[in-house]
Parts: sequence; C-alpha cells; structure tokens
Amino acid sequence: MNILLQNLINGLTLGSIYSLVALGLTLVYGILHIPNFAHGALYMVGAFMTYFFMVDLGAHYWIAMLGSGAVVAALGVLCERLVFHPLRHSPPIHDKIAAIGILLFLEALVQMLWGADFRRMSSPFTGVMNIQGLIIPEQRALIIAGAAVLVVGLQLFLRRTMTGSTILAMAQNREGAFLVGIDANRVAMMTFAISGMLAAFAATLYAPINLVYPAMGHLVIMKAFVIIIIGGMGSIPGAVIGGMIIGFTEALGGFYLSNDYKDVIAFALLVVILSIRPQGLFTKGAH
Amino acid sequence: MLQLNNVDVCYGSFKAISDISMSVESGELVVLLGANGAGKSSLFNAISGLIRPSAGQIEFEGQRLSGLKPSGIVSAGVVQCAEGRKLFPQMSVMQNLMMGAYVHRRDKAGNRRHLEEVFELFPILREKSDELASALSGGQQQMVAIGRALMSRPRLLMLDEPSLGLAPLVVRQMFDTIQQINSLGTTVLLAEQNAYAALKIASRAYVMEGGQLVMEGDRETMLNNDEVRKAYIGA
Ligand SMILES: Nc1ncnc2c1ncn2[C@@H]1O[C@H](COP(=O)(O)OP(=O)(O)OP(=O)(O)O)[C@@H](O)[C@H]1O
Ligand SMILES: [Mg+2]
Repeated sequence: MNILLQNLINGLTLGSIYSLVALGLTLVYGILHIPNFAHGALYMVGAFMTYFFMVDLGAHYWIAMLGSGAVVAALGVLCERLVFHPLRHSPPIHDKIAAIGILLFLEALVQMLWGADFRRMSSPFTGVMNIQGLIIPEQRALIIAGAAVLVVGLQLFLRRTMTGSTILAMAQNREGAFLVGIDANRVAMMTFAISGMLAAFAATLYAPINLVYPAMGHLVIMKAFVIIIIGGMGSIPGAVIGGMIIGFTEALGGFYLSNDYKDVIAFALLVVILSIRPQGLFTKGAH
Repeated sequence: MLQLNNVDVCYGSFKAISDISMSVESGELVVLLGANGAGKSSLFNAISGLIRPSAGQIEFEGQRLSGLKPSGIVSAGVVQCAEGRKLFPQMSVMQNLMMGAYVHRRDKAGNRRHLEEVFELFPILREKSDELASALSGGQQQMVAIGRALMSRPRLLMLDEPSLGLAPLVVRQMFDTIQQINSLGTTVLLAEQNAYAALKIASRAYVMEGGQLVMEGDRETMLNNDEVRKAYIGA
C-alpha cells in the first residue's frame, strides 16, 4: 500500500512537470499552429539560467526562478519576433525547420558557455516530509504544489482576464479575433512569453532532483509532444490531463514493469490511445 | 462616410475584385447584392484590413484605412460581422459579447451600457448568456455575431450575408433587427443574396458581378429594375 502511494506521488511529480512543459507547447500550437521543437531548448535554458543566478551569482532559489522565468520569456518573444514572425506567410515546413534550428543553436550556445558536463543544482528544499510513514521529499512536494499554482493561475488568467482571453479567442477563431480588434502580434508575443516562462519554471522545479546539462530537454520535449498529441493539439485540459497520464504510467510502469523501459511507456501509450481516438482525447471542433 | 476609389483585390494571380468605387453616407443602409463568388466577402475583408487591396484607396471619414491593421480599423469605427459568424465556439455567449468590446476594454461602464442595449435588441441572449456559443441555434448564433459586432461600437457596421442558412421566419426577424439597428443611428453596409428582403429595408444598393460593380441605385429604382428582378428576385 505504502509503496503504491509512494509511486503515485512520484507519478504526480513527473506529471506536474510534464504538464507544465506540455501547456507551453499546446498554447503556442493553438495560436500559431507551429509544433515548437525549440520548446525543449527553452526548458534547458531555463534550468541553466536558474543555475547561473543561483550558483554563479548566489541568488536565492525563488529569485533565481523568477529571473530565469523572465529571461526565458524574453527568449521566447525573441524567437517569435526574429524567426516565426518573418515566416508567417511561408509553408508550415519552414516553421518546423526553423524550430529545429533554434533548438540546435541554443544547445550549442549553452554548451559553449557552460560546457557539456552534468551539473547538480540543489535547492534549499532538501529535507523530507514524513506523513505517517509516507516519505515525500520537500522538493517533490514543491513541484506538485508549484505546478498546481501555475496551472490554476494560468486558467484564471486565460478565462477571467480580457488580455488572457485574447489567447483563447485567437486559438478558437483567428479571423473572429481580428474582427474584434485583437492584434495578432501582441497575442503571439504574449503566448511565447508565457510558454517560455512555464518551461523555465518547470525546469527550475525539476532540476534539483535531476541534473542540468545541455541535452536535458530532449526526452522532456519528446514526451511533451506525446502528451499534446494524446490530449489533442492545442487543448489546454488535454495538456494537463495528458501530462498526468504519462507521469503516472511512467512511475507505475517503471516500478512494476521495468525501470529500463520506463521511457518507452509514453510512446507505447501514444500508439494505444491514437488507435482508439485518432484525434486525441480532448479535441473539440476545428483543431 | 466610407469611400472606396478604384479598389482591386487579388488572391495570388487571381483578381477577385477589380476597380470598385463606391461610397456609403452617414445614416444610410446600403445593400451590396451579388451571387456566389461575386466578391462581396473579399470586398468586406479588404475594408476590414484582413486582406490588403492590391490597388486603390479606402477612406473612412477622411482617414485612410488601407495600411491600418484590422485592430486599427475596428478602433476607427468600421466593424464587420462576417459570413459564417466567426464566433469563439468554446466561449459562452457573454464572453463572446465581451470580446466584441475588446478595443473599448478600459471603458467598463460604457461596455455595460452597450451590453444592455444588445440584450434589449436580442432578449433571448440574456437568457442564454452562460451557454456556449456553439450550443446555440443558427439564428441565435447570428444574434451573438451581430451583438458582438455592436459591442465594438461601430459607426459603420458591415454585415456579410447574415441571413445565410436561417429559416425564413428567422430571416424576417433578422432583417427587422438590422433595420432597427440602422434607425438607432448606426450606418449599415449589408451584403446579401436575398435581394428582395434586403432591398425592402435599404436606402440604396449596389450590384456586384464577377468582381465588378455593374449597377447602383436607390431602393425604388432597384426594386423596379427588370434586370435586378430577373437575376435576384426571380420574378
Ligand atoms: N482566400 C481565397 N483564395 C483564393 N480565392 C479566393 C479566396 N477567397 C475568395 N476567393 C475567390 O474570390 C472570388 C470572390 O469570392 P468572395 O468570397 O469574395 O465572393 P462572395 O460574393 O462573398 O461569395 P458568397 O456569396 O459565396 O459568399 C471567388 O471566385 C472566390 O473563389
Ligand atoms: Mg461571401
């Protein structure tokens, strides 16, 4: 019983991180219909920026997280302005190639500045909580709570504020959004900023129980793509629930089936779900 | 109020609209008649800034619209209620209406007043305000689309085939409402294929064919014109 609970906590931790990364990916897809392969690189840069602020400059973990969020949000906006915006009238394949270009560029840049080593980055939350025999490391509790706050905060922003609603409006009907006077550039920049910030926060939350290195985004981004395909491209609830599904199956599968194959489980699940619901779990209407 | 001079619109090498000059005066209800593919929507989208005219000028109250972004054109007071409605399907009726007030988002009191006016025009929308726009009937969705456009506080409202796909009784009410909107002070440019019903509420009309204007005149002239009767009224 206790082992099962322990694994569920692990699943929830993983699911929280995956959901945050997938949310950023699905938001950008919903607006621009770009599969942003560079999103994993933004995640990686987020971890390195936190490392830089915290280890090199000595800032507090929270300050480093905010700083990293701001830098990666700006980086997201920069990608949109310098790369995706000029390509808006080109065939979609150009966006995809450009996204891979950004990914390679950022990885090479980080490798040049920090080297290819694996780094450890410990947060101030190294203790464990013992709730009636159930062991929860503080950092894992922080990941779960942090992701919950971010997901709820994002929902409130998107549904309750006029500015946030412009993102939903643009995703639901692009021309309709133009006709009420919503500016496409503003929405695109805002979406990339939010997407980058979520990636940086996810990386900052996860890095202390993992390692920081230039290729750290690869597996995460591949799983995030699996998640948004399972959840339905562009669907926000799909990203959160898809993230949880992958997180839980990985934690449980990794323990009860085989730890060596845990990274394959996500892809096996993808095949199963798509053969039952080819459009994804939460796709509505046009997407 | 609205003035078009020698406007061309192209899609790639295909010229959908050639050399159109027309005008709409303040307070008028002008109808733009034309069969499928005549170029009505293309013209509206050029005025709204969704597509850039390849030649000619579009002016609204002396201000050049060509070159403004769609958001700038809405702010200037030219608002389109598009063909196919273009609602936000996963938002409630209320949210759709409030998105219409996007360019006036800082004026909360003004928006409440306009919302009240929209609900007076379409009382059913007040009852349905929490339902998803996509769950409404076609006629009600058209009301949301017109209501959303009104929330943008148009001085010129462009309606692109609002009667499309609606039951005959609903169409009649729709035209009554459009006339009412016009009589309350909003200038209206109405694109229609439903010529008889549209002409009955019009002050003037233009007829488009193959991307060109082929005829214009006031209501009486058009209703009594044999060619118009043959081509669009079927009598
Ligand atoms: N996006 C587009 N790309 C290429 N051609 C287009 C496009 N939109 C319209 N056309 C063409 O331009 C011409 C005018 O179309 P438009 O939609 O403006 O006509 P319409 O009068 O609004 O017709 P309807 O009554 O069917 O709405 C048509 O021949 C159409 O095929
Ligand atoms: Mg049309």
